[in-house]
Amino acid sequence: MALMITCPVCGPRNGYEFRYGGEDKGPRPAQRELSPGDWFQYVHANDCADGIQKEWWVHRDGCGVWFTTYRDTTVNREVPPPEEDA
Amino acid sequence: MFGRTKPLWDTGPELKSGYDAVIIGGGLHGLATAYFLASRYGMRDVAVIEKRHIGFGGAGRNTAIVRANQRTQENVPLYKEALDLWPVLTRELDFNLMFNNCGNLNLLHSEAAVNAARMNIATAQFLGVESHLIDARQAKEMMPALNISEDITYPIMGAMYHPPGGIVRHDAVVWGLAKGAAALGVHIHQHTEAAAIESRHGKVTAVATSRGKILTPRVLVSAGGYSAAVIHRMLGLRLPISVLTIQAMVTQPLKPLLDHVISSGAYHVYANQTLKGEIATGAHMDPWPNYTTQNTAYYVKHQAEALVEILPCLAGVRFMRTWAGLADMTPDMAPIMDGNHPLEGFYMDCGWGYFGFKSCSAVGKYMAQYMAEGRCPEILKPFALERYEQHRLMGETAALVSYSPDN
Repeated sequence: MALMITCPVCGPRNGYEFRYGGEDKGPRPAQRELSPGDWFQYVHANDCADGIQKEWWVHRDGCGVWFTTYRDTTVNREVPPPEEDA
Repeated sequence: MFGRTKPLWDTGPELKSGYDAVIIGGGLHGLATAYFLASRYGMRDVAVIEKRHIGFGGAGRNTAIVRANQRTQENVPLYKEALDLWPVLTRELDFNLMFNNCGNLNLLHSEAAVNAARMNIATAQFLGVESHLIDARQAKEMMPALNISEDITYPIMGAMYHPPGGIVRHDAVVWGLAKGAAALGVHIHQHTEAAAIESRHGKVTAVATSRGKILTPRVLVSAGGYSAAVIHRMLGLRLPISVLTIQAMVTQPLKPLLDHVISSGAYHVYANQTLKGEIATGAHMDPWPNYTTQNTAYYVKHQAEALVEILPCLAGVRFMRTWAGLADMTPDMAPIMDGNHPLEGFYMDCGWGYFGFKSCSAVGKYMAQYMAEGRCPEILKPFALERYEQHRLMGETAALVSYSPDN
């Protein structure tokens, strides 16, 4: 279905203007004493939530900004942030 | 045809309180594993539990193409054995799986693609899989409908011809395996959702389901595109998987036109003609993870444009049905098959992306061996989850993560 994503600069736009940038996994882990396991978790591992997830997007064919938003992966719709993150 | 119909397998066994093995997911990998557990290893006290009905997921949504011309020497033997097993299973299950051994033509549109194909072909031939490089004129002779002119977006320079591949009727495989497994005593419980995997002292003890608890020492998660979410929810184990919707469609039935499966990486399209005459075609994945299994106008348009460039005679032909399924993509385009980690008795078979159908026969055989003996068969060892942590990703994709949304 038509996916709309809200760019913080340009407002709601067609999803095909954007590129998905992966699940939000928090800050990049520190390089010092970084274990292969932690690096795997940061680089490759995903929650694959069937529900609402926080994720990165970039407005590739627009203003170029990177931002996070929330989307329900079971219906492929952007949703408002959950209350604890609002 | 108007008489009473008899189910192919026993659909009404009681859910027992315990089994020797529980398989979560009534798709092709789960059913094949159950069948081989019962037929090859004498483990007949097995339950396959399926949230919806068997064949609901990828098993009934793939485009039925089988082939063994993958890139790496770890993967090719597995797919080769899967191809070799179709005639064996047809005989054993006494069920016509409609293996149409028509061969695959992988179209090449650049010098780089031709060179990459040379490596694939060398790998295939080294491992005893028939595969040839042919030029555009030869491809045209084999398939007169093909447009080999220079005036299309990606002119065809040649093709990789892989005669042992073809098409297998996917629903027949679901039904045949269910019939065969049930006849050997396997219980198939549809509309039964797995809720949790229970353990004690690091060993699997039970599976909690929507219809009650099942005691078992071993459990396999082979839930196709849903596996990663299921495993994360039940065990907190995060996998290197992105779940994308992959779309497909068929045209109205036509007279025989394509006598090989064709595919094109540049156009991002594959097509084959079903035994009913429809052109079944697909390939594109949504560029964002989702579980919707819906089609998009964006893609239907792309598909029509791409098909008409390489097969101009299809202009004006109508699409009759569209559908979509889930592909659980890994960064190296190779699956994850692992066991006894993080719990003894826990097995997983996932990350197949869009290769789940063509692999199911061989994988069922080896996952059954893994579960029956508790030791990883040699052929499955390269597919362990730990390879990602050890930076030993497989070379199934030329450019790493090129199909992943993280790219």
